Amino acid sequence: MQFITENLQILFTGLGLGSIYALVALGFVLIIRATNVVNFAQGDFAMLGGYAMVLFFTGLGWPYWIAFIGALLAMAVFGVLFNYGVYYPLRHRSFLPVLISTLGASIFLQNTVLYVAGPQPKPLDKLLNFDGITLGGVFLDSQYIVILVATVALVFFTFLFFEKTLLGKKLQATSQDKDMARLLGIPVALMIAITFIYSAVLGGIAGVLVGPILFVSIGMGSIIALKAFAATIIGGFGDVKGAIVGGLLLGVIESLAAQHISVPYKDAYAFLALFLFLLFRPQGIFGEKVSEKA
Amino acid sequence: MPLLELRNVASYYGNVQALKGVSLRVEQGELVTLLGANGAGKSTTLKTISGLVVPAQGEVLFEGKPIQKLGPEAIARLGISHVPEGRRIFPGLTVRENILLGASNRKGVPRRQLEEEADEKFTVFPEIKPFENALGWTLSGGQQQMLAVARGLMAKPKLLLLDEPSLGLAPLIVQNLFGTIRTIRAAGTTILLVEQNANMALSVADRGYVLETGSLTVEGTPKELLGNEEVRAAYLGGHHA
Repeated sequence: MQFITENLQILFTGLGLGSIYALVALGFVLIIRATNVVNFAQGDFAMLGGYAMVLFFTGLGWPYWIAFIGALLAMAVFGVLFNYGVYYPLRHRSFLPVLISTLGASIFLQNTVLYVAGPQPKPLDKLLNFDGITLGGVFLDSQYIVILVATVALVFFTFLFFEKTLLGKKLQATSQDKDMARLLGIPVALMIAITFIYSAVLGGIAGVLVGPILFVSIGMGSIIALKAFAATIIGGFGDVKGAIVGGLLLGVIESLAAQHISVPYKDAYAFLALFLFLLFRPQGIFGEKVSEKA
Repeated sequence: MPLLELRNVASYYGNVQALKGVSLRVEQGELVTLLGANGAGKSTTLKTISGLVVPAQGEVLFEGKPIQKLGPEAIARLGISHVPEGRRIFPGLTVRENILLGASNRKGVPRRQLEEEADEKFTVFPEIKPFENALGWTLSGGQQQMLAVARGLMAKPKLLLLDEPSLGLAPLIVQNLFGTIRTIRAAGTTILLVEQNANMALSVADRGYVLETGSLTVEGTPKELLGNEEVRAAYLGGHHA
């Protein structure tokens, strides 16, 4: 019994952390699909979201919800700036210049925030005013509950947006064949800008959600992004379902391994899982070995 | 005033000159065909009209206004619908979604009306109706071509550009497709048709041009082109149509 509750407890924590990876991985995948480029600053979107929340809530003393909405709006604006500053000028180049551009943006963002906010990690209050609930011997921390609920809601919203609206279909069309999309009159540059806005907001939400658990810090984005990136490969590169399942799976693997094998190697298990997948199932969980069809 | 006019258009692919001073016109309601061998510049001509290729020289006039500096999105909004070579179906969207997106150049049309128009397209192309909810990549070549034309028509184009619609299709399906092209034309859509299947193209066209290595060489009615010895030898395989 002890064994079961202990593992349920770890499973719960793992799913919570995994949700954060999943949200950032989802942002990765949306940008990969729209632009064929891995956005190395994706993790820094989470970092910026966290700092925006700290600024509005702790710094300016806004009510939690107002500060949260403010942080999301700030991330939306940032998504526009990122699109036009980092991606747009290089859109006709191959993937490499764009990739380097996002890498540069990542370094720039981290150092700018370091300069402005200083090196000390910032604490952030939880959304709910209680510690959590105990259910059958398993302690459910309120912030982890918030993370899980928010992730389910966001995944559901993303699904509705991309699968049920014409705008979502236009975004998909843009990611599948840009020239054809343009011939149909779809404003491709705007579609890509929307993708960056959406990814920035998703990343920002992840940062605000995880802030109360990990503290808001300059480096928080890098470690989350590395694991989210591993999650996209494990799930199937460029696959939306895969990003979510891969993220959750990675969170659970990491937490179980930390508990049962060794805590100090916590961050290594994600990459061990990545190695194993690359060796035995390089196309990932949902990926298919497809040949180009004429 | 012709619906479409090209005046001395030159286009390049990198350093290669694909069009060397092409001038042609398409009148309102006409079905004009552009014939020529592989690499003659037929597809480049269509891409130059629809804005995918920006001409280095010359003018493209649509309803009398120059459009050669506009991007493909803006040109689509003016009412030019380009059904490109290779069909270019969105592989990860369903057949119905592909059709719906064909109307992306029209602003402010409610979704419900678009769905109704999509249903109408399924009556014009009953072959693809059973695959309405299948993903684009699962269709056969012929079905993809039907879908590409249906999608192109959702734009309610004043001018429809069709690039090699018969490419890779079985003869029976080509017949079927050209029957549909006749129907579309009879409904009042102006069409510029690029084809390697010259016999088929001339059987539906009002006029034709022959393009050779980037320059137009012959222009005329189907009868004139079919009577031209050089054209027959080069593009009609010596058949007497």
